Amino acid sequence: MITTKNPHINYYGHQPGESIENREQKRSLSPRANTARELYFSAKSSTSMEFPYWYTRRWEELEGEIPIIRRAEALKAGFSHLTPVIYPGEILAMGKAAFLRGSYPMPWLSEAFFMAAEDKLYKEAQESGKLTADTFTTMGKGGGNVTTSVGKVISIAGKFGIRVEEMPIMLEVAKKWKDKSVDDVGHKYEQLVPGYSEKEALMRSVICMFDSGYTLPQGREVINYYYPLQFGIEGIIANCKESTAAVAGYPDMDRLYFFQAVIIMLEGLQKWIRNYAEEARFLTSIEKDEKQKAEYSEMAERLDWISAKPPRTFHDALQMIWIFHVAVLNEDAISGLSPGRVGQVLYPFWQRDIKNGIINREQSLEMLECMRIKFTEIDCFASMGVVGGVLSGNTFNNLCIGGSLKDGTSAANELEMLILEAGITCDTPQPTLSLLYDENLPEEFLLKGVECTKIGTGYPAWINNRVAMEFLVSNYGHEGLNMEEARAWAIGGCLETSPGSWMPLELDGEIHWIPGGSAPATSVGVHFLNLPKLLEVALFDGMDMRTSQRIFPSHGYALDTYEELWKSFQYYFSRACHILTLTNNVQHDAWRKISPSLINSMLKPDCLAKGKDIGQMGCRYNTTFNIESCGTANLVNSLAALKKNVFTEKNYSLNEYRKALLANFGYKTAQETGSYSLIDQVPTEQYHTWKKIHRQSLDAPKFGNDDPFVDTIMKDWEDWFCDMAHNYRSLYDQPMYACQISVSTHGPMGAVTLAGPDGRLSGTTFSDGSVSAYPGTDKNGPYALFNSATCWSHSKSQNSQLNMKIHPSVVKGREGSRKFLELIRAYLRKGGFHVQFNIVDSRMLKQAQSDPEKYRSLLVRVAGFTQYWVELGKQIQDEVIARTEYEEL
Amino acid sequence: MEELFCKDCRFYLPVDVFTGLCKISKKSVIPDDSGCEKSEKSVKCKFCMNFTSEREYLGKCMESTLAYPDMNAIKCEFFKWIERN
Repeated sequence: MITTKNPHINYYGHQPGESIENREQKRSLSPRANTARELYFSAKSSTSMEFPYWYTRRWEELEGEIPIIRRAEALKAGFSHLTPVIYPGEILAMGKAAFLRGSYPMPWLSEAFFMAAEDKLYKEAQESGKLTADTFTTMGKGGGNVTTSVGKVISIAGKFGIRVEEMPIMLEVAKKWKDKSVDDVGHKYEQLVPGYSEKEALMRSVICMFDSGYTLPQGREVINYYYPLQFGIEGIIANCKESTAAVAGYPDMDRLYFFQAVIIMLEGLQKWIRNYAEEARFLTSIEKDEKQKAEYSEMAERLDWISAKPPRTFHDALQMIWIFHVAVLNEDAISGLSPGRVGQVLYPFWQRDIKNGIINREQSLEMLECMRIKFTEIDCFASMGVVGGVLSGNTFNNLCIGGSLKDGTSAANELEMLILEAGITCDTPQPTLSLLYDENLPEEFLLKGVECTKIGTGYPAWINNRVAMEFLVSNYGHEGLNMEEARAWAIGGCLETSPGSWMPLELDGEIHWIPGGSAPATSVGVHFLNLPKLLEVALFDGMDMRTSQRIFPSHGYALDTYEELWKSFQYYFSRACHILTLTNNVQHDAWRKISPSLINSMLKPDCLAKGKDIGQMGCRYNTTFNIESCGTANLVNSLAALKKNVFTEKNYSLNEYRKALLANFGYKTAQETGSYSLIDQVPTEQYHTWKKIHRQSLDAPKFGNDDPFVDTIMKDWEDWFCDMAHNYRSLYDQPMYACQISVSTHGPMGAVTLAGPDGRLSGTTFSDGSVSAYPGTDKNGPYALFNSATCWSHSKSQNSQLNMKIHPSVVKGREGSRKFLELIRAYLRKGGFHVQFNIVDSRMLKQAQSDPEKYRSLLVRVAGFTQYWVELGKQIQDEVIARTEYEEL
Repeated sequence: MEELFCKDCRFYLPVDVFTGLCKISKKSVIPDDSGCEKSEKSVKCKFCMNFTSEREYLGKCMESTLAYPDMNAIKCEFFKWIERN
């Protein structure tokens, strides 16, 4: 049995005290933001058909029109008809749909997954393996999730509620997209890729988690707010009209249609904004409270102004970037659209307002808190496998602070200090914060970051500025990205290093170089590959033993040596990358033809200059497809256990191991116990048959302990993976790269994987991230973990991910803060790319699991994002509880 | 005169699929609650002359285009009241 003194929790150091330790005292948020957050807490994720109805109606009217014009007109119809909703006390208006946590289906991307289970479309999707991940995903049962249908509300994907009045129209509209959606058209043509059946087998076995072309075709990137901030909407329209005149009739006519499409789309956005202004005026007319009346009136005036002109103040600018953020989110199913370095982008406006006495710090803080609430309200409508199994309900709007200015000096400023303060006072999941650590950042700024992390928000995540820039120059250098441009980078999504550009914002005659994203989605392609499952398939010569289905043809190796085992794994991994790259390229091609990006394209340099959208490589940098992995530590630990027990010490034959894995080492499966961490598993009567081999598997060297035996395996894997990823070519004929984040996929991917040679049991969740140790196996302290994690060069990959859980008492007070900062520095100075923390007593999480209603506001860090505990699925909750809790550093 | 529910009132502010706020009183209301004396019809397809009901929750706009009765038509250029209140 696996036991500790404190059952079901893994500790490093000593056992904690008797009573549960709370996090350090939080500071309170402004009354306005508090009211907004309380309303948020009461609201459920809700979906409506307004936008898709008008989009589809206009699309059908324009049969035969140039596709990008048809798309622009459809978007214009959707935006123009959205019902404006403004909540009392709001100072930042507008949202995705006519609910607080509103979202809507986009059947032009995929129409099948939200159909009722008995519907034919749904059955077809299931047969092709597209929905298998849904079956193995657990959704959070509390918070804003509509987990079951009740009364006149129908639950979709265990998260979204739709009114029964809108269900028939949803099905009717969805059916109009059958054989026309990106999903269906992509599927039709991906079947022409030789060996296609292997792709379906990979999806059915959940070796691959999902297709990216129609699920989340955009996101994991950094938005760019420059053009609207500098020129305003009318300025951009005027620019497009000039460009139209310059290209009309000349070769490369796609530019003409692109400029026309941008104009049409922007007219739709203007109508959308003005509809909100009109609603604000209506509210002014019925409001009795004079203060509120004045605020509605100011809002109406501001929205009218922004619908045409560039912002005049910080408040205008913040409202404008929010509008464009939502606008992009409404053009596609998107997760991980990061606002990027907002503290740099808005600093010139803020600085001017402070200087002119237009705003003070208290008002700024309130505004930033309200911005946090608006970002937290964002939902992304997607299937359960995507929204639960990958996103855990999060939408990954990552705001970066710190880093460098264009000239390489520290970028930290007063506004970023206020952004951190708002992250402390208004602790919400969005936008999550990432601190781009550089040695030249001021100590005061870093300690403020530590103060924020310490209260248990999970943010800021700590990111290595230099390692990221090295990756960017290496990956995008052939497209012209140099070191100066690399400094404009930010995190896109949870942890995707994304290139940016410096844009010249002119304010009062002075140029301010502001950073913003200048690439499309930096994380599309092969998503995600289940590494332990691929090893399992290699051990069973191409078979998925859970389903008894063949995935690959026999690899032909006898597996008499460790080297043969490694080669068989490499062979299957490469086969998976090959077929999935090609099929995803087909899907993304369907996406760019049927549903091209217009709003995001318009924002991104250099689409307007080139007259090309994102799908036509209009962006400055386009080397953006990747191969994502999941379960790294379990793969490495399993290889180490087999190397030791089978090939070096010969304690067992490979056949004996195979039998032990099939028998789950004599334990019940996680699905049977309903618990997904190793420490909670329950033995069967056959346990004694497998006790010894299980013990020796658990005792084999484990990653995270500065042990060269296993760290060498880690380095071999990383060096190989990061290099081989470049062998695959994206739709844009650019080399792909390695991406190593698990998000939430380690839950469902663990659920479909048999017991592993590392001693992990069937169905239990994998280790998170890519350099996190498996829960309970890092026994030599944090610095040993750091040595293991940095045994390879992180600049070879788009990212790496390290999660740590620390008891609040360890970092308490000022001394604790200093000690904590030194710990973070030690890792980043060793070349670690990223580290993030849960500062929490695990016993509190256990309590929250059994009594969720008392913990509605409890936040935890998962893997690149912070989420409300109650909105996480049990697979992930169990894994977070099981993570090693450090009682000393 | 047919019964008006809160969700059909122009002063209804939807929070989610279960609840909303009254724009006048700022109080929480249930969408399926009966309207009060201050209720006024919201601009919805079911109150439009161009809408024809065909079956439960579905119908046609101008006898040709698919539509649904509960859709807000506040920004619809084709909307014409059957009877305002």
